Amino acid sequence: MAATPDPAILSIGRALPTNYVDQETLTAALSAAWAEQHYNAERLDQIHRATLVSGRHLALPIDEYAGLGGLRKRSDAWLRVALDVGERAVRDGLARAGLEPRDVDQIFFVTTTGLATPSLDARLVNRLGMRPEVRRTPIFGLGCLGGAAGISRACDALRAWPDAVAVMLSVELCSLTLQREDLSVANVVATGLFGDGAAAVVLGGGARAVPRGLPRVVATRSVFYPETEWVMGWEIVDDGFKVLLSAQVPDVVAGHIGGDVDRFLASLGLARADVRHWLAHTGGPRVLEAIRGALGLPEAALERSYRSLREVGNLSSASVLFVLGDHLDSGEAREGDVGLVAAMGPGFSAELALLRW
Amino acid sequence: MTRAQAAVAAEITQMVRQELGWTGDPPPADAPLAERLDSLHLLALVVAVEDRYHVVLTDDDAAAARSLADLSRLVVERAPVERLPEEASP
Repeated sequence: MAATPDPAILSIGRALPTNYVDQETLTAALSAAWAEQHYNAERLDQIHRATLVSGRHLALPIDEYAGLGGLRKRSDAWLRVALDVGERAVRDGLARAGLEPRDVDQIFFVTTTGLATPSLDARLVNRLGMRPEVRRTPIFGLGCLGGAAGISRACDALRAWPDAVAVMLSVELCSLTLQREDLSVANVVATGLFGDGAAAVVLGGGARAVPRGLPRVVATRSVFYPETEWVMGWEIVDDGFKVLLSAQVPDVVAGHIGGDVDRFLASLGLARADVRHWLAHTGGPRVLEAIRGALGLPEAALERSYRSLREVGNLSSASVLFVLGDHLDSGEAREGDVGLVAAMGPGFSAELALLRW
Repeated sequence: MTRAQAAVAAEITQMVRQELGWTGDPPPADAPLAERLDSLHLLALVVAVEDRYHVVLTDDDAAAARSLADLSRLVVERAPVERLPEEASP
């Protein structure tokens, strides 16, 4: 009996909130609060410039953040905007794949920036008119690795249902977690780095026809790093989520990613030299340098990640999907090419996916 | 280290403990700070020192101030007298 082909990525839809603000304006908006608590007014600007981010799309108009106190207001805003950008991302992805909402058999939803029950995927089933039989899998808390992990989990399901269509939606509204009163260095770095956006990966099971030029997901791997819970995460406070961000994130990444990638590739009979397309989570400048250094890659290999970071900031789980979507749009890959999707996040963990065109 | 620098170094050690949550032994005055504190903690320390002593530390200053002794010397040279601890007064 012939083996069923691997699941394929059919398209990646993307949506950003309409409120775009350049980095200088964002820094200026925070500067008054910074100057009230800190002597060196230039320091905030230095920290924000070091992120390389030139601007971000925000869930709300910038002057509405001052009134965003309390978990209830944050959650209300998150749900309203997440539904909007999530719906737009799914519609964009399905349109690109030539599919309709009723064609979707599985919907996966990842986020780390907001909570809702029923979860966002349930509300989108109603909004989009998906079939009642659609299987829903909401996943919360994977942080920046959620996009890559979501692809992996969707592929797991598609290997069980090779005729099915899955949508894996990531929505992250990082700006709604901003703690305005917290002017700690970790929080200020986060205010300079993270942005808002949504991406929807449409995947088809291996038994479905796949148009030329689209990659199949040959294999995936999760790697958990024991006793590294302190590296990154949220502290849940009365006012919402407060970022926990260790400066050692780049060191943890640098210490693991090379070996993780090599072992994953070796298990598939491949080596780094076989990978033509590197699709990495954008992280921040130091994380990208850590990935590049550990894998011995030229700067150009991660140019899409750097560009995404500059243009929209770190979108947490959606970032790697924006990078992958940009790559698919370019049509750069040729038949037989191998690509590697890599993302890291709270746990601390890595998620890898090998693509073949 | 002068008496003034020692007084400032003692205060900075307290700041490292209280504001950065440092729980280990205090770093020796001449030990490289970068070996004891990660980059975010170092940046947080620089911000705390600027706030406490009303000094501005440039990137060059931060690179030159490798140890607690270096940082204390810089603070004593730059800070307004009224921002220094009483023990540091001439």
